[in-house]
Amino acid sequence: MSALLRFDGCGYRYPGAAAPALADLTLAVGGGEVVAVAGPVGAGTSTLLLVAGGYAPRLLGGTLEGTRVSEARRPAIVFATPWTQVTGLFQSVRGEVAFGPASFALPRERVLALTAEALERLGATHLAGRDPAGLSGGELQRVIVAGALAMEPDLLLLDDPAAELDPAGADALYGLLPRLAERGVAVLVATPDLVRAARVATRAVALREGRVVGDGPPARVLG
Amino acid sequence: MIGYAPGRSVVHRAHPYTPLVIASGLLLVAFAVRSPLAVWTVVAAALLFAAVAGVLGPVLRPAALLALPTWALLTVLHGLLGGPPHVAVGPLAFSVQGGERALVFGGRLAAILLAFLTALATVSPARLVEAMTVRGVRFGRIYLLVSTLTVVPRLRDRARRIIDAQQCRGLRLGGSPLARVRALGPLVVPLILSALAEVDEQALALDVRGASVDGARTPLETPEDHAADRAVRWGVLVLVVAAYAAKFLGRAP
Repeated sequence: MSALLRFDGCGYRYPGAAAPALADLTLAVGGGEVVAVAGPVGAGTSTLLLVAGGYAPRLLGGTLEGTRVSEARRPAIVFATPWTQVTGLFQSVRGEVAFGPASFALPRERVLALTAEALERLGATHLAGRDPAGLSGGELQRVIVAGALAMEPDLLLLDDPAAELDPAGADALYGLLPRLAERGVAVLVATPDLVRAARVATRAVALREGRVVGDGPPARVLG
Repeated sequence: MIGYAPGRSVVHRAHPYTPLVIASGLLLVAFAVRSPLAVWTVVAAALLFAAVAGVLGPVLRPAALLALPTWALLTVLHGLLGGPPHVAVGPLAFSVQGGERALVFGGRLAAILLAFLTALATVSPARLVEAMTVRGVRFGRIYLLVSTLTVVPRLRDRARRIIDAQQCRGLRLGGSPLARVRALGPLVVPLILSALAEVDEQALALDVRGASVDGARTPLETPEDHAADRAVRWGVLVLVVAAYAAKFLGRAP
């Protein structure tokens, strides 16, 4: 399996930060892997996802050291809080989910098909005509995840994606990850929910103070 | 009400550019005309625009709330401090010319507020995005315009969440005027800070979903641009040109 994403002695420092958020990171992730990224608050799990997707330092500033090589054609990231990820431009969930694929000038029918498929995967088809502004946090987070899936990402980065979901919603989301991996998608999920992560991950990476302190089978790394 | 309110009026169903052009036309004509009568005729046109759109009631209240302090200031500045001739109004001497100026400035403000609050209430942001996408406008420009149009409802929703959270922590919003002013701090500071914090994450979320990709986006539900829409927009343009021609020829009413 060739690596979709590779870090070699990589470090990242936020603008103005005294200490690096990531240091001496060496890691390779291939398509079809579900990697659980775990660590205490401040360990650098969210930062790892931002750097993996190429959003840091490109959009956030800061400095990157070492080598980061990504073959990902279309990465997508989902954060914990849905309200900051909604575009605010659409009065329907369908429009919100279609925003991503529509950005890539795909044919209209293809955009609508991807939108419908993503909503179905998240069990959110019944929300398609609703105004995103009127949804609960859990419903909106499902819409945001659907928006990411509708883009057909080859690298999916999930930062505590179930924080707003109820247990059934969280189970459904985590249950989706192996199915995405079967399609060749590389999934990195940073989460404090080690039980669900251990259930679906093919591998786990533990971070502490921005450094990898464990990398291997979830049962071993997550304890 | 400031922001989009779904409806089925002829203005709601019009092409999204049409209400914006009407509102812009009313603004421009309000500044082209000079007399109080002409300016307040534009105000009447703006009221008619709101009435046809079915949003007169919801638009009047915020328009009045926004205009009243300025009207009061204009009355004092121009009416009471204006030059002669004066007329006696009780114990006060009221400047006739100053009063006319106050009417003109106050009328312009009223026309602008009514026209743009009506446009905001009737132009669906989603349809505007689609209309601009079809015209090949770059997404950055679309987002700049549409997010400006939707900023008030978004801030209002956020303020509501902050008020709920702060009240859960014991913040009291009632009481004396001084207590109300004191309560503003715990509301305004988080409102501004959270809005600033959101900018980064939202920019990231939009970028992730291809907002910064160059090239045409796929329009999904293109709003129809009927002949009537185009006729109205051309009519507004002709009216604006005529108003400014009259102004520069010294014949503006």
